[in-house]
Amino acid sequence: MKRFLLSLLLLSISIALSAEFLVEDELLTPEPSPKWGGTLRLVLPSTPESFLMYGTLDSSTYSITMGPMFSPLVEMHPVTNEIKPALAKSWTVSSDGKEVTFHLREAYWSDGKPITSDDVIFTFKYFVMNQFARGNSIDRFTIPDEKGVNKMIEWIKIDDKTVKALLPSPYGAFYTVLSHVYIYPKHKLEPLIDKNDLGSVNKIWLSNTDPKEIVVNGPFKPVQLITDQKLILERNPNFWKVDKYGYRLPYFDKIEYLIIRDEQVRLAKFMAGEIDFMAISSRDYPMLKEQELAGKTPYVVYATQPNQPTPSPIHISFNFDVDDPELKELFRKLEFREAMEYALNRQRIIEEVFAGLAIPDAGLMLPSNKAFYNPKIEQLLRPYDLKKANELLDKIGLTRRDREGYRLFTTGKRVEFNLLVQSSPKEYQDVALIFAEDLRKIGIKVNLQILDASLVGQMFGAGNFQAGIRAFGNQPDPQLRKAIWQPGTQLYYWHYSTMDKTKTPPQPVFENMFDWEKRIWELFEKGQVEMDPVKRKAYYDEWQELYHIYLPVIFVCKGMNIWGFNKNLGNAGLTKEGMLRFTVWTSYRK
Amino acid sequence: MRRILIMIPMMFFISVICFIVTELQPGDFLSQYLENPRISPQQIETLRRELALDKPAHQRYLIWIKNIVTKGDFGYSFSYQRPVVELIWERLGWTVAISILTIGFQWLFATLMGIYSALHPYRAGDYTLSILGFVGLSIPEFFLALVLMYLTLKLGGTTVGGLFSPQFIGSPMSWAKFIDLLKHLWLPIVVIGLSGLAGLMRIMRGNMLDVLGSPFVTALRARGLDEKTIRRHVIKNALNPLVSIAGMELPNVFSGTIIASIVLNLPTIGPFFYNALLNHDQYLVMTFLMFIAIITQIGNLLADIALALLDPRINIS
Repeated sequence: MKRFLLSLLLLSISIALSAEFLVEDELLTPEPSPKWGGTLRLVLPSTPESFLMYGTLDSSTYSITMGPMFSPLVEMHPVTNEIKPALAKSWTVSSDGKEVTFHLREAYWSDGKPITSDDVIFTFKYFVMNQFARGNSIDRFTIPDEKGVNKMIEWIKIDDKTVKALLPSPYGAFYTVLSHVYIYPKHKLEPLIDKNDLGSVNKIWLSNTDPKEIVVNGPFKPVQLITDQKLILERNPNFWKVDKYGYRLPYFDKIEYLIIRDEQVRLAKFMAGEIDFMAISSRDYPMLKEQELAGKTPYVVYATQPNQPTPSPIHISFNFDVDDPELKELFRKLEFREAMEYALNRQRIIEEVFAGLAIPDAGLMLPSNKAFYNPKIEQLLRPYDLKKANELLDKIGLTRRDREGYRLFTTGKRVEFNLLVQSSPKEYQDVALIFAEDLRKIGIKVNLQILDASLVGQMFGAGNFQAGIRAFGNQPDPQLRKAIWQPGTQLYYWHYSTMDKTKTPPQPVFENMFDWEKRIWELFEKGQVEMDPVKRKAYYDEWQELYHIYLPVIFVCKGMNIWGFNKNLGNAGLTKEGMLRFTVWTSYRK
Repeated sequence: MRRILIMIPMMFFISVICFIVTELQPGDFLSQYLENPRISPQQIETLRRELALDKPAHQRYLIWIKNIVTKGDFGYSFSYQRPVVELIWERLGWTVAISILTIGFQWLFATLMGIYSALHPYRAGDYTLSILGFVGLSIPEFFLALVLMYLTLKLGGTTVGGLFSPQFIGSPMSWAKFIDLLKHLWLPIVVIGLSGLAGLMRIMRGNMLDVLGSPFVTALRARGLDEKTIRRHVIKNALNPLVSIAGMELPNVFSGTIIASIVLNLPTIGPFFYNALLNHDQYLVMTFLMFIAIITQIGNLLADIALALLDPRINIS
């Protein structure tokens, strides 16, 4: 027995010695004397549907798995968005840019088994590239080869600690998409999968799983889930990151996620100091800040430069394929869309709707995204100027007006259109009201069509609208939003005639595209296969300019991100550049 | 026996109506993903096939019913991918506990208040109780919950929202945990219970007044029975109609408290059902509705039986 214990001890020491740790950087751990132990208290809006992020589309599952429980091969830095090593300690690219070899870190699962290339290949085969997995990412890992035929990226095992990715052609956004692939344990999950029914991957590690079965490679592992009340995670003793002093992370022993559905209750718990960190809505910011400044609150709140995909920047679109022939001709005129942008009072919207907590110059990319943002678009935004808007409308021949002051088409019909808006979030309606009010001043009648969100989504999806207000999130790399902003795709909903829906997958229809749309289509194709970051940025710079010159949609503004922290949370707050600094593995209780 | 047999076609009828209503809701489970650029249109098609949402509604309904009848399988939740019965079962414990306590609270106070009012009609006490009851009836539950939570916080209480303080959630049962539960539990019981209180109290009061004025009471008095005995007979008789509506009360408490449960952050079925409704998680919604329907029917049946026990003149054939 003694000998057994001794050998166990020796084994654990050798494991500790052989492990290769990553030192977490100064940006996330600026404070000099961190403390260990305690519980980090966070909040979830609903019980996670699963612990397997690829088997579900549930956002609570994403919150707990992407980061707190699992790690990817390469990581995106939480503050700077730079790609850095994670489970892969290094990688090399072949000279033609089509083979990337990853060298895995000497790291272990929470149950002590080594993390190997088998886990990587398993994760790709059964989850990421499995078309029956609900949360798969096949589209992100399928790219055209030199002949333009779509092919999947292949993974091959070199040895236990080396895997190679074979790309059909160089792929600029490869590391960005890879940073969203979290690696799952083969030795635990493979026995649960029915190999004859690949849809069975959706049924494993659901919310009724015994937490003891769940093995992780991130900082925390689950220990208990109390339905609709709480989820408890515990430190993973084998986490592969250390702080600058060489001590193993995370600092906290536990994370407790309170499950609270109602936004007001969440806020009340945060104000009472029962929640350490959460996102705050812009509506609540003034009240919280006021109380904070009055002193005695257990929390601090910050409005940060937007660096998150949500809240989505709101845009206004005009349907280029609308049924009404006169409106169709009008919407396709650039002067009309320019007039619409001149009539858009961004400043008033930001002040009245967003309580001043929004920025006007973000849409396709965020200014905080140094890798891709093109600051030139700030000059391209047309400022609120009703006189200019009027002139432009006069110029395109809408000079006659009726008795009520509305402009008339040459046929004598009044210039009016329906603006389709979903009823929640409320900001959309408020933007629509202000916009409609200003259009009234330049003689255009807007009928607001405010409907339930799911119905509105369907109507947009079917191209059944005249004009609309909608929002799509940003992403760190434009490639990830190709499905929205490239003409000829399902989400390029304001110009559906650029897409042939009868083919699977749908094909672009070039003869229906404007010249500038063809160019945008091309820029996406070029940006996708370019590996040189400088050249990629040039492509996407041009793309951003084209959007602001030709206005396929008019961006309104983007809400800032607002965060609340408990005052006694260490290594949490803002960086010098006003960016959010917080991770579950570097924060601690002061 | 006949009553129980009637329940079967009744349930079938209810299920058809519920299914039609859920179908009429615009969109389906997948429409929430249409805007998500991470999910390709092809994938939505695959999911649609997997969930059988591409089949016409009547076909889906028949498959659903067939599985219930033949296998006792109420279907899968689209989002949780687990059997709906299991999901509902997980959340039923607290729902039933809170419902029963609430009904107990309602009945206790409603009958006591009703009796007091009826014995002191048109006097200050009667009016005060009536006003109190009607205030409870007219204030929306969620609002009452917010007001009470605010007042508790203002008065220095910290035990607000949920059933336990965070540190007790998931810990093994102990005396401290039980005390903590009691500190939280009164709020939902009062909030949910207060709304039904006025109705029950008015019924009790009305019945009491009716019975008090009825000839048999006069007869009892004429025979010189003491007031205490008379009162016992009066109360027993007045309770009759109250028992017959008891069957309705359980589903009311079950389903009528969804918003209050969201505001109070209770781990009951209500908020869960509400979410399923928003997500078009059809089988979950259907099963829950059927569950409410069967509870109503069983409640009515039990009320009838209780009535028969209370009053031998009523006979269940």
